[in-house]
Amino acid sequence: MSTSPTPAGPSPAASVSAGAREARLTTLLVFGAMAIGAILQIWIPPGPTTLVAATGGASLVVLGLSFVVPGRLRSTLSGFRFTSSLLIALAIFAILGTLILQGKPAELYRAKYPAVAGLILALRFDDIFHGLPYAGLMALFGAAILASASLRLPLSARRAGFFIAHVGLLVSGAGAAASSMLSVRGRIDLFAGGDVAHQVRVTRGGVATGAFEKLPFQLRLDQFDLVNYETEYRIGYYEKVRIVREGVVMDDFKLKTSFDAYRVDVFNSRAEPIPDLDRHRLPGGDSFRVKAFYPDFEVATRTTPASEGPPALLVTLAGRSTWLQAGEVVSTPDGTLAVAFGQQRPAPPPGVSTSVLVSMSDRQAVVHRADGDGAQPLAEGLSLLGGVVRIDRLLAHSARGAFYQTRSREPRNPAVVIETSVHGLVSETLATAAQPRGVFLRDGQSALVFEKRDKEVKAFLSHVTAGQGPTFARAVISVNDPFDFGGWTLYQVNYNPEDPTYSGLEAVRDPGVLWVFVGFALICVGVFYMLYVEPRFRGGGIDRQAPVAPADS
Amino acid sequence: MLQYVFVEHPFFALTSLLYLASTIAYGLAWVSPSRLPGRAGTALMVAGVALNTAVIAGRWVEAGRAPFKSLFESLVFFAFCIALLYVVFERLYKTRLFGVAAGLMTFGSMAYALTKWDAEIVKLPPALQSGWFVPHVMVYFVGYAAVAIATGVAVVQLLSSRIPFVHRLTTMKAGSVLSGEPLDLDRISYDAVRFGFVLLTVGLLVGSVWAKSAWGDFWVWDPKENWSLVTWLIYGAYLHLRKVRGWRGDRAAWVAIIGFAVVMFTYLGISMLPTAEESAHVYTGT
Repeated sequence: MSTSPTPAGPSPAASVSAGAREARLTTLLVFGAMAIGAILQIWIPPGPTTLVAATGGASLVVLGLSFVVPGRLRSTLSGFRFTSSLLIALAIFAILGTLILQGKPAELYRAKYPAVAGLILALRFDDIFHGLPYAGLMALFGAAILASASLRLPLSARRAGFFIAHVGLLVSGAGAAASSMLSVRGRIDLFAGGDVAHQVRVTRGGVATGAFEKLPFQLRLDQFDLVNYETEYRIGYYEKVRIVREGVVMDDFKLKTSFDAYRVDVFNSRAEPIPDLDRHRLPGGDSFRVKAFYPDFEVATRTTPASEGPPALLVTLAGRSTWLQAGEVVSTPDGTLAVAFGQQRPAPPPGVSTSVLVSMSDRQAVVHRADGDGAQPLAEGLSLLGGVVRIDRLLAHSARGAFYQTRSREPRNPAVVIETSVHGLVSETLATAAQPRGVFLRDGQSALVFEKRDKEVKAFLSHVTAGQGPTFARAVISVNDPFDFGGWTLYQVNYNPEDPTYSGLEAVRDPGVLWVFVGFALICVGVFYMLYVEPRFRGGGIDRQAPVAPADS
Repeated sequence: MLQYVFVEHPFFALTSLLYLASTIAYGLAWVSPSRLPGRAGTALMVAGVALNTAVIAGRWVEAGRAPFKSLFESLVFFAFCIALLYVVFERLYKTRLFGVAAGLMTFGSMAYALTKWDAEIVKLPPALQSGWFVPHVMVYFVGYAAVAIATGVAVVQLLSSRIPFVHRLTTMKAGSVLSGEPLDLDRISYDAVRFGFVLLTVGLLVGSVWAKSAWGDFWVWDPKENWSLVTWLIYGAYLHLRKVRGWRGDRAAWVAIIGFAVVMFTYLGISMLPTAEESAHVYTGT
């Protein structure tokens, strides 16, 4: 970027005069380049071609002029004042590009920046990095690099770093220009199961141009895999926030953090999850804990002895135990055998060929069949019909209540009981992942939600076959793992969660990228060499020989 | 809030406290003729680095990925980088003078991390599942840490010419200064910027190579890319200013401070930009 060592010798007056001239020339060049670019832009629309052509052309013209025009043009181009002014101008453009949305329709600018939309559109700051003012600066930048690098010739080990870094900048710049001018980029949409593509739908800046580019090979999508992360069940902590949506201020709940409902042994993925029963402190001062975790939740009933209430009977029918209260019946799945229980002898259930009628007051169990009845005294442990029916337990008075349990260890219907402590007030809430709802905390400003997370995409993979005459290759393309074939590189860029057979690929043919990366390598080597190797040639201090600026410089 | 932090993130909180304690000890070393506070500061800082390492390693194992995804994780790593680099600098330059600045930055980074509530472990999206992810982030954060230390030194440098007490500290032969030699603050700041600039260069270019392998384009004018470029240009200007114009002292210190301000905006401020929604670099939980 810069520059020759500051020459020693001239008188202060001459230095000031030369410095003032350099400052004037710098101002003229930087503002002139931007002004000329802004004027020419009235007729020439911005774009990659505009940028490259203008940068390259103007750069060579400026450099050429610096060799033939008498005066200080060349020394100014390679001087620090010019370089620093240029770097500041480029930095301002880079910052503007982050303050103004790029490449959007004109209506959006008028809506979003009503006061300055006209200026933005007139100066084409809606495409700032492809416009001619920016090209003007880049042209000066290229000329400055060439001019200052040429001052390092002939090359010596003492100052090779500066030269290498600047050559790196030029090479990567040239590569970027080639990339911008010559690269072709486009989309290929394929569906798994043998869909074949022969061409690319060309895009520019992510927008389809309507043009197509023929591929020199055919590309077939054999299979597409959309891989999700394992499903997780977590307790999310949400806080109320005020948002503006379509101009309307409203309250919404935003996820702030989340807690484990259970823990998994990270060193043993096959181990069963262990409920996380620790009490957790929440940012607002409340706390909660998971009191119980049910992977496969159901509500069951439990019968217990009581001082009053109906009698109850625990009976095992065909291997399955059931509590019956007076008036209830249990039967086998095929309906051929039933047990009925009552205070008095119950009536036989209709349509059942064999029934056991248990009477609490008579203390009898009657086996009822079409051909007659047989009664036996009622007792715990009584076995009937060859052991198919067994009386396990009798309660004179009972109470029945519901309770939560898990049917299995599989996470088919996960649920938790959350115990919250808000302002010291403890309460319990059952929360199921199938029907998530908020457990509200302090003044309704925050809430806990037991929720399922199962739509997080881990990877999307295209299994493709590319064929070009007798040559073909198979590959799996994923994000960060593109596939090179026939001079094109294919990137995985899209999928459709609604259609698991769809794969969106980006195809790029970019002859300049290799030079960009070669330039990058040279920049890295040059910077390191300049900062850490060159000082050794000068006896340990890179800047010990450099002049110290006077206080007013 | 503090209760939440100490109960839910005890090791992060403990690491922060170690950094805070080391800051206080280093501060005491400024005024104490004894070597004890300075040594205590170093010991606490080293303990902080050790615990910070353990915290990062633990989270790495728990998450099954490098813990650089969220703002919370990156701040914890940033604190680690500053502390580690500071300890190296302390040995290299044989001074504990900058312990307060380094301690404040590490504690500040941890404290800010702990006020973020995105401490949960989030999944790595496909775009970040790359071999470039870890080197890109590590190189950048060590670079950030280097320019952070350079800024700390630059601040001391500016203060030393204005506040006699600070000036005495930079030249004292006992207490905070181990070597007993006056410090060349300008040189130390420059060395840190030089080291940071090399890493910022490599980080920028590695990021570009990664972008190419992920999206097919090496430069997409993402706001973070642009601001990283601005950062690079500023430190490039700093190096040019020193080399060619011979800028030293206050002016070089101010450029180093401005550069770090831009680094901090690049790191933390991108979400404030109107173009942030289009950036692939905005942290979750900001």
